[in-house]
Amino acid sequence: MRILRYFFWAAVAGAAGIGLGGIALHRGEHINSLWLVVAAACSYATAYRFYGKFIAARVMALNDERATPAERLRNGHDFEPTNKWIVFGHHFAAIAGPGPLVGPVLAAQFGYLPGTLWIVIGACLGGAVQDFVILFASMRRDGKSLGQMAREEIGKVGGLIALVTVLLIMIILLAVVGLVVVNALKGSPWGTFTIAATMPIAIFMGLYLRYWRPGKVLECSAMGFVLVMASIFAGRWVGQSASLAPVFTLTAMSLAIAIILYGFLASALPVWLLLAPRDYLSTFVKLGVVTMLAVGIVFVRPELQLPAFTRFTDGTGPIFAGKIFPFCFITIACGAISGFHSLISSGTTPKMIAREWHAWPVGYGSMLLESFVAIMAMIAACVLQPGVYFAVNSPAGIVGATPEAAVATISGWGFPVTVGDMAVLAHNVGEQTLFSRTGGAPSLALGMAHIFASSGGGQAVIGFWYHFAIMFEALFILTIIDAGTRVGRFMLQDLLGHVAPPLGRTSWMPGVIATSAAVVAAWGYFLVQGVRDPLGGINSLWPLFGISNQLLASIALCVATTILLKMHGAKYMWITCAPLVWLVGATFTAAWQKIFSPVPAIGFLAQADKLEAALRAGTAAGTFPAQAAAQTATQTLIFNARLDAAVCGVFMVLVAVILVDSVRVWAGILWGSRDRKLHEAPFVVSRLQAEEL
Amino acid sequence: MRRLFRLVMALLRELADENAYQRHLTAHGLTHSGAEWRRFSEQHLRAKYAQAKCC
Repeated sequence: MRILRYFFWAAVAGAAGIGLGGIALHRGEHINSLWLVVAAACSYATAYRFYGKFIAARVMALNDERATPAERLRNGHDFEPTNKWIVFGHHFAAIAGPGPLVGPVLAAQFGYLPGTLWIVIGACLGGAVQDFVILFASMRRDGKSLGQMAREEIGKVGGLIALVTVLLIMIILLAVVGLVVVNALKGSPWGTFTIAATMPIAIFMGLYLRYWRPGKVLECSAMGFVLVMASIFAGRWVGQSASLAPVFTLTAMSLAIAIILYGFLASALPVWLLLAPRDYLSTFVKLGVVTMLAVGIVFVRPELQLPAFTRFTDGTGPIFAGKIFPFCFITIACGAISGFHSLISSGTTPKMIAREWHAWPVGYGSMLLESFVAIMAMIAACVLQPGVYFAVNSPAGIVGATPEAAVATISGWGFPVTVGDMAVLAHNVGEQTLFSRTGGAPSLALGMAHIFASSGGGQAVIGFWYHFAIMFEALFILTIIDAGTRVGRFMLQDLLGHVAPPLGRTSWMPGVIATSAAVVAAWGYFLVQGVRDPLGGINSLWPLFGISNQLLASIALCVATTILLKMHGAKYMWITCAPLVWLVGATFTAAWQKIFSPVPAIGFLAQADKLEAALRAGTAAGTFPAQAAAQTATQTLIFNARLDAAVCGVFMVLVAVILVDSVRVWAGILWGSRDRKLHEAPFVVSRLQAEEL
Repeated sequence: MRRLFRLVMALLRELADENAYQRHLTAHGLTHSGAEWRRFSEQHLRAKYAQAKCC
């Protein structure tokens, strides 16, 4: 039996090696997507079985005899021992957002290979390790948050920096995901109607749950799902209606204002009315679509149309500028390693773990599953013809504002596409145009629609699947916007409460309105900045988001390294230190280049200087009213570029401070001048019975 | 197959907060009513949405 196991794992590891080698060395002919699926799945299985288990057994010394906080502090609410697969699903649903879907789609501009290798290797050696160690640390500390652990294990500075960094990341995150929705829905009456319809549907669900059938969440969500599907069918009719289509055909700026107003209202309204029912619905739709996509890819086995590498590895990419190192590694955060996960791993999940060994599948395993979602997103993007992929994702400011100019530019790059091809595709999916729909969501929806339609129905149903995919993405992005605004408001109230105590009270309505408005204004400003950006906004906002997210991961890995160092000395510190070194190197390089690169497409300051030079030349030319308006717009762009540089700089300084603080603590521990005291909860023998799970 | 179905349903009920509600009723020796659900959901949802959702 034992020998069979050895053979089985040798075969899995071999398949992983052959798969990775195959996709890395394959050139010329198109490669089938199953290569990516096999390479990723076998790599994850091998990493989970050997590396994850090594960390669990040797480094953490997980012990099922030790009572977890879920058992010791059991209260029937947040602390509750739960079946490990339920916790796994719960944790996965919490960590999987739009990041693993959008990041790989954007990074596909380098070709399928760089992003795929980073997703697989980054998740196995970095992301899953971070999530697992932070979950373990929180579980051994009564479910404490990352900020609390940073304060206890590193120092007060670490805790404060973690809080401020999270607040800043929330602002950038909400702006960038808002921009993804704006770019997916602009000029699309079908999509806009479908998304608008989810609001009355969510309110209906909220009222249904509260007054008509209290507690029947699954029943209510099933009804909500049927209504949302009906709204997708109705959306096609609205899009073709001469009277209704203009009402739902909105410009990017109108959509941005609508989302900002929605964010403010949703964060101030009672949660049961809009946020909670929408969240239930989006969670179920998300899990269902991810499963469908996996089945669809295995069933259809589409060929990847994008090459392993494109010409844009030289840093001249139209979607975002910059070379593979460092920009591939900050563009794909969720899916490889994401700092945000550390907030979930030190949030609800550690309070539900029944036995310590359950942290292995929950912490390490669910990150691998999210990484697999990122692989599927990469496949969905790469099944598109390269010309179509670049026509959809390249901003008009780079490829040209007219369809003719855009296809000429893109074909000139060696990715042939015609105006006719794009017109037929747009017609098939029920859109007026698909040119310059930046942000990743429309091209992901096209790829998903292609896979779903190939499973059955063909071109006749591709329009439905495209809008189904757009609805799926927008639904949970809007949930993130309203939930994120609310969380940002709580954080701001927490901070301001130290200065003006009434502002800290969550029940004081003027304080609630003022802080909600402040948070919405902050992310709304960046959203409008992205909408106004002639290069599409994603070029500047997504790297900012990636940098901030990866810097949060650096903070989490600093905390994790400190804990491992206190547990074992230097013996195992490489486990978290190696990904930390890589992440700090990539992220600081990216941040430095985004601020100081002399190339205007990359560096914010160079961009501001270029615009300023153009402005000076324009001012000398004349002062007609149209020119005055253009000058004001350019001045705003200059200010925004400098603001982005400043935000990037603030992130760097904050994380540099916590890094220096951590290194000081590590040096003290290694040289014996510092206490190695861990702040773990005391050992209590578990009395949990197997049947309780 | 039946075990898998039961597991999936249990996960869906956990994600839907229906299990948490049942635990709340059991822990406090209460029976289900509209008023009790409203009391539970207000308290539960307030705590749930005070935490960040991932990107």
